[in-house]
Amino acid sequence: MLPVQAPGVYAGGANVIAVLILLVEFGMFRQALLRDQVRLYASQSALIAVLAVLVGAVRHLPELYVLAAATVALKVVAIPLVLRRLLRETGPAGAPAAGADIAGSGGLGLASTVLIAIVVAAFGFFAAGALPISRSAAPVTALSVSLSVVLVAFVLMIQRQDVASQAIGLFSLENGISLAALVVAASLPLILEVALLFDLLLAVVVFGLLIRMHIGRAESLSTADLTSLRG
Amino acid sequence: MSILLPIPVVQLLQLVTIAGAAPGVSGVIARAEARLQGRRGPRVLQPYYDLAKLFRKEALAPEGASWVFLAAPVAAATCYLTVPLLIPVLTTYPLPLGYMGDILGGGFILALASFLVAVAALETGSPYAQLGASRAKTFAAITEPVVLFVVFTVALLTGTDLPYALAATVRSSAGQIIRPAHVLAAAALFMVILSETARIPVETHTGTNEFGMIEEARPFEHSGPYFALLRWGSAAKQLILYTILINVFVAPWGLAATRQAGAVLVAMIALPAKACVLGAVVAVIDSSFAKLRLFKITEFASAAFLLAVLGVFTLYLGGG
Amino acid sequence: MDVVAVVLLIVPAAAAITTFWLPARAAGAVTATAGIASFALAIALIPAVSRRDLALLGFVRIDALSVVFLLATGFVYACAAVYSIGYLQSAGAQGAAGQRYARRFWAGLNLFAWSMLAAPAMGNLALLWIAIEVTTIVSALLVALEGTDGAAEAAWKYVLLASAGLAIALLGTIFAYYAGAHVLGPSYNLAFGPLLRVAGHLPPTAARLAFVLAVLGFGTKVGLFPVHTWLPDAHSEAPTPVSALLSGSLLAVSFYAILRYYQITAAALGPRFPRDVLLVFGVASLLLAALYLLDQQDYKRLLAYSSVEHMGILAIGVSFGAPVALAGVLLHVLAHAAAKGNAFMGAGVLVRKFGSKRVSSVTGGLDLLPWSGPLFLAAVLALSAMPPFGIFRSEFEIVTGGLAASRNAAAAVLVVLVTVAFLGMSLAANRMLLTPRRDPAPARGEPSVWMVVPVAAGVVVLLVLGLHPPGELTGLLDRAVAALREPA
Repeated sequence: MLPVQAPGVYAGGANVIAVLILLVEFGMFRQALLRDQVRLYASQSALIAVLAVLVGAVRHLPELYVLAAATVALKVVAIPLVLRRLLRETGPAGAPAAGADIAGSGGLGLASTVLIAIVVAAFGFFAAGALPISRSAAPVTALSVSLSVVLVAFVLMIQRQDVASQAIGLFSLENGISLAALVVAASLPLILEVALLFDLLLAVVVFGLLIRMHIGRAESLSTADLTSLRG
Repeated sequence: MSILLPIPVVQLLQLVTIAGAAPGVSGVIARAEARLQGRRGPRVLQPYYDLAKLFRKEALAPEGASWVFLAAPVAAATCYLTVPLLIPVLTTYPLPLGYMGDILGGGFILALASFLVAVAALETGSPYAQLGASRAKTFAAITEPVVLFVVFTVALLTGTDLPYALAATVRSSAGQIIRPAHVLAAAALFMVILSETARIPVETHTGTNEFGMIEEARPFEHSGPYFALLRWGSAAKQLILYTILINVFVAPWGLAATRQAGAVLVAMIALPAKACVLGAVVAVIDSSFAKLRLFKITEFASAAFLLAVLGVFTLYLGGG
Repeated sequence: MDVVAVVLLIVPAAAAITTFWLPARAAGAVTATAGIASFALAIALIPAVSRRDLALLGFVRIDALSVVFLLATGFVYACAAVYSIGYLQSAGAQGAAGQRYARRFWAGLNLFAWSMLAAPAMGNLALLWIAIEVTTIVSALLVALEGTDGAAEAAWKYVLLASAGLAIALLGTIFAYYAGAHVLGPSYNLAFGPLLRVAGHLPPTAARLAFVLAVLGFGTKVGLFPVHTWLPDAHSEAPTPVSALLSGSLLAVSFYAILRYYQITAAALGPRFPRDVLLVFGVASLLLAALYLLDQQDYKRLLAYSSVEHMGILAIGVSFGAPVALAGVLLHVLAHAAAKGNAFMGAGVLVRKFGSKRVSSVTGGLDLLPWSGPLFLAAVLALSAMPPFGIFRSEFEIVTGGLAASRNAAAAVLVVLVTVAFLGMSLAANRMLLTPRRDPAPARGEPSVWMVVPVAAGVVVLLVLGLHPPGELTGLLDRAVAALREPA
């Protein structure tokens, strides 16, 4: 096999940021405390903003700066704030704040889950590798990484058994899709991108309402009792 | 100076550098760690004095131990003297004996040394030594796949298995340094090195925490010159692994490109200096994190495995 | 005519805002007015799109296909609004809690209907996605409105699964953008018209990927197998008028999104690939629904699985591709909206009367409910494709189209599975309506007249659609079918 050519400094840097996003996604498997998961989500969104600035600087797309600013404002500041406030509320009868809760997890241990997630991420890499993508703003490896982030986020949502972790898993899935958008749709009109972000904020608010309702009913965040509707 | 050193001399200087600088690097790490923790710490050359003291002491062997018990430290030391011939220590060009083995060969020899010491520890019948030996082998088995994937990354990047080739590739352009495969492989290798050299978060290097000891428990029953050989051997292993990480992945500069005496001398000073910098980083990690509980070391290994596998993926499937 | 479209988009939103502050009775009146007005406005749009597509404000685009779905949504909105007046009255919730529930209910209903009316009017794919996302989050709150354990569980499952599916659909939208950017340049806005015009030049791999992701993603909201699992829970635990809207309109509007992607992909890749994909999903959904229908203990869940069945029939119909099949599909959208709305509303009457959602608890429906009983029976028969109702005509057209397109095996499978579904539904209906009451029975009589009128209207509509659809409607359907078969 011939020596592999280096892809260039920009491509290498962008790929490293993309891989860091994937690693943060894996990091969510490890974090047991919910507020740490919120922090990881904020750092993942910050990485996306950094990558947007990098792509905008190198490819001369000034709209991406605005997008990065909007991402920081919404996904790094506003949404974690909403989530933290939600988790900080005490449960009924003085139960401790939900933010310190350990995230409920399924039967598999951490190492096994990470191995399964690696297999799933591999599938994402293979799938993206089969796509002939030309003319992309960010390097194509980032697209493979974004598909892996989406798939690993699905594994995270399946494995976790409490509502807050599942919600954070869904938001990190949306981060993976934002990463894919940076690769293939970097010049999507700004107004559409901002509309998507505000739509995400709305969704977060609704999720928050439903989680609060769940806490009120079940006095915990666990979804282990959500088994009554079958068939 | 334009004295050209003959090749065998350069080869010998490689051995001398590793063998001589190894305890020094350990001393630097110990002092740095002590300083970080607010203590004065031992002097940097303390390990040399310890080794000298130990060579003067009497050697004892437990009853029932066979010749393996006494031969193992010597054999291990021999292995640790062989590996520096295979890796880029002082030069950018491969030396003749460097073709004896590639990265995998070097790995095999290091594993052989570890195996011999473990067998010797098992022979003693001491519970702590056996505990350490069995744990060390288990965790070595768990970190093996990581090393393999790092080797795969090296192989995919250069088309060969020779560490010299990868060092040359990394030196060739800035793009090679920042590509994710390279960064991930280096990070994975660093985590394996933390595990192999018995540092936090896998094990506390100093002190005798019996419930947590892995590597440190193996030389429990040796004494005298054999214990000195084992202590020196673990320091040499540490420096060899640091050398692989530094001279192949992270900072392959400062090596002699010619046989000129001046260049070789610069390399001989540069290598321990770089190793001390890496040692300072390790000392910072030592002082910042807590030791993992034993059953969580699999999580640590799986994290390293994740990094290594992602390195191969981004390279093989992503072209990065 | 542009005015009509603008008013149509504003009326439900205005109703949502006003009903949030009005007392319950006034809110009901406002909502019913808004619903009937919306339906009337949708009918008024039919002649407007007979000659050209409506495009205004840069992002609104209404063509014949959109009007079909606007009609369906408007009709169910009107019926549900009138029905809800009786539904809330007969619930008898008084005091502050009742007021709060009523206010949230009316405002939510209007907002939900507004989002479903906005979606078919959106002119580009990104806004379409956003509109459907808004429908998801509004309907999730409505599903949870009842406040029971089952409602909370159903709402959580619904919002999580539907949001995950819509995230996949967003990925599909992004790939569709990428495909279009190859031809239209980097800064176009996914507008539907230009995309259709250049569809022949889109890169095939990206178009294929975009279509599959869109079917999988929007299919989550449509209720296609295997991403339908939230549907029985959400539709059975929601308040009945909301269930009617969910089953009658929301599934259809999500299917509208799939139809738009079908249009683009068929123009880009040829019709064979999208039809195969839709056939697989359609048959799987139909099979699963037919089997589950045979053994249901909860009659609202039964109706939900019937929705899955009909969505599968829609997908299969599109996959046949013949003009008569496509006409059948669009007629089916209208007829299913009416029939499913009816069925759910009848089920709501049963819930109010007998106090339980279990099939075993309900007996003697025909005796005890002189109006709703026969109307519910008619609705169930309509759903099972019994003549002379509209669904018989639409399914007949679909099967005819299948045979015309030489898809004999698929058409045969369709007929067999629809029969199995009929068996399941009729078993339950028989147990509920036709067996005489043995236990101490509640008093004979309707809970509320408001709950009868919309159902009767729906049955009338079904009869009209089945016996003799009006000429303007067939003209509209023909124009929509022409749009689906070739790019504009």
